[in-house]
Amino acid sequence: MSVRLRAAGILITLIVASRAEAIPAFARKYGMSCTACHVAWPVLNPQGLSFRDNGYQLGLMKDDPSSAPAAYVPFSARTVPTYQFTRTTNQPGAWGSTETRTGGIGAPAVDVLAAGTFAPDLSYLVVLAGFTPDEAGSVESAWARIANIGGGGWVNLRVGKFEPEQPVSERRGILRTAGHAVYSARFDGSQVGFDLASNHVGLELDGHDARSETHYSIALLHANGGHGSRGPWSQPVVHAHATRAFEIDSAALPWLRIGALGTIGWWPTRFTTSDGTTIVEGTGRDFRKYSRVGAEVSGIFGHASTPFFWTAVAMHGQEQGSAPDVDPGLATRKSSFDGGFLEVNWVPVSAVAYNATPWVLFARYDVVRYDSGPGDFDGLSAGLRRHMALGPRASLAVHAEVHADRTRGTGFQPAGGEVQVQTALLGFDVCF
Amino acid sequence: MISNRILVASPLVLALALVMEPRPARATPPDAAAVKRGSRAYGRYCVSCHGVAGDGRGPSADWVDPRPRDFTGGTYKFRSTPASELPTDGDILRTLERGLNHTSMPHWRGVTRRELREAVQYLKSLSPRFAEEQQGTPLPVPPRPAFTPELVAKGKEVWGKVQCAGCHGDGGKGNGSSAQTLRDEWGYPILPRDFTSGPLKVGSAPEDLYLAFMAGLTGSPMPSFAESISPEEAWALVAYVRSLRKD
Repeated sequence: MSVRLRAAGILITLIVASRAEAIPAFARKYGMSCTACHVAWPVLNPQGLSFRDNGYQLGLMKDDPSSAPAAYVPFSARTVPTYQFTRTTNQPGAWGSTETRTGGIGAPAVDVLAAGTFAPDLSYLVVLAGFTPDEAGSVESAWARIANIGGGGWVNLRVGKFEPEQPVSERRGILRTAGHAVYSARFDGSQVGFDLASNHVGLELDGHDARSETHYSIALLHANGGHGSRGPWSQPVVHAHATRAFEIDSAALPWLRIGALGTIGWWPTRFTTSDGTTIVEGTGRDFRKYSRVGAEVSGIFGHASTPFFWTAVAMHGQEQGSAPDVDPGLATRKSSFDGGFLEVNWVPVSAVAYNATPWVLFARYDVVRYDSGPGDFDGLSAGLRRHMALGPRASLAVHAEVHADRTRGTGFQPAGGEVQVQTALLGFDVCF
Repeated sequence: MISNRILVASPLVLALALVMEPRPARATPPDAAAVKRGSRAYGRYCVSCHGVAGDGRGPSADWVDPRPRDFTGGTYKFRSTPASELPTDGDILRTLERGLNHTSMPHWRGVTRRELREAVQYLKSLSPRFAEEQQGTPLPVPPRPAFTPELVAKGKEVWGKVQCAGCHGDGGKGNGSSAQTLRDEWGYPILPRDFTSGPLKVGSAPEDLYLAFMAGLTGSPMPSFAESISPEEAWALVAYVRSLRKD
């Protein structure tokens, strides 16, 4: 089989990656426009990061549900009906390599979000994502968090299913055609299913200063997928992320942030089977160790109210080889990859108007390189949004985006077939 | 002929009079370049509550309690300056940085200070008063005395002297006899502060309370007592009001 699983995995990531977390219920609760907390929703600005880190609280005695306006209901919904055309080269056909072209308006999925505070310093988020006429949707996020343990913001505890802290949130991305390829990178034949872009179940300790200029998080997670192990913590992952932001009294570069992340996990690779092929859940052993390390730089060029907001990320991933006596059917070589991305969101105008920031332009370049084997990836996405409404109750944007990528060595042709994907998307993004 | 001369001369005289009219010596109109830049921050962060014209009638105004500030009159409650005088830039900046408790005015901690300073200039541009009048000079705040039982007892006397209980109630719970009848400058109902729990809108430092007594909260029924009590009595009143806290 020359069409590799990784190509399929990347395509799936590109197409179905959900983008759920923009929460107009907060705008309704506090009366503010989305632009107060988002560079361009759902991308958070420093004010939004501070609000998030403080447990969805402003700390002005108006956060408790009992003090909120009676009309406030902590639910939001989002749907993105779009026309999408995709061309993919070098796919397997009856007579060899073929090119596929698909286009149409898919059944728009609906994401339902509930978020807020139960009581002072007790916050929650539930995201039910991907409801369509044919799909039941899934629980994308469900967590509760205790904030300001011991006073101050340096100790907060979150438990549930949540997104690991990333340089750029996969769930808060503005791009709709492509996920961050480096988050999901895995070498060809990898037995490890960990995906940094996914939400995982676990617990997280995090902390920050008053302005969230310094922030850390350390999470102990169960990696998604797989069949579990016999240990007391199946498919364990430890993930850490820290950032430090600097405000600079400069018209050209008023804000800069640096950060680093590290991940180490263990993935079971051998299982007990009931009939020789059917895996018995929870019997995994022979853990394969894997890791990720990365560095990031973010900044704002120009006026911070009309930001050219950019982030550059470099990551290195590694997966342990297996011992020689392990099942020869499993990959035995040690493998690694390097990758990253450069992402920009630019809001060129902020006017004294209720639709203050009508335009958003955005782009990202993704790259992944493996130390050996196929799968090297390059992708470029770009687009623009025109907000038709952007207020304290609801938002509607016209969203146009194009994407092109190529993955080397994963196509139909055994000798290094390259798969190219081009996508164009036009539609509405509605958040209420 | 004479009347024609008068008609011709009148505009000249009027113009001359206008030119020669003594202007306030230290009016500090907002910096035009900063106003232009500050409009970006105002559009992004402020307009949904405070409105395009800055009159406190944004689309969220009816949903938040208390209602957003109307900037067009140059009336600011939380100042370090004497009653009826314009606030300093620092007063306005402080509200942006710290927010106002019990209101929907957040602290804009995530916003760069450069944006906030420019936003202050834009807010000033919304009222013609800043182009015409001198901004006030901060009231002196004497060093805070020790809050002894004797000072608290003296403060209780001051509490009676300036009739705080009429609005704030005997125990300071904000339930005085006139509490339900109070309205602010714009005609909206307003309740007196409950001193027994929670922070004040402007902050919880004793100095905040001192300034509230001496500068008043312009636009609200809370007057300035600068003319009726001494600084020592004001500190005594601070001590007494803080003694009312139950939390």
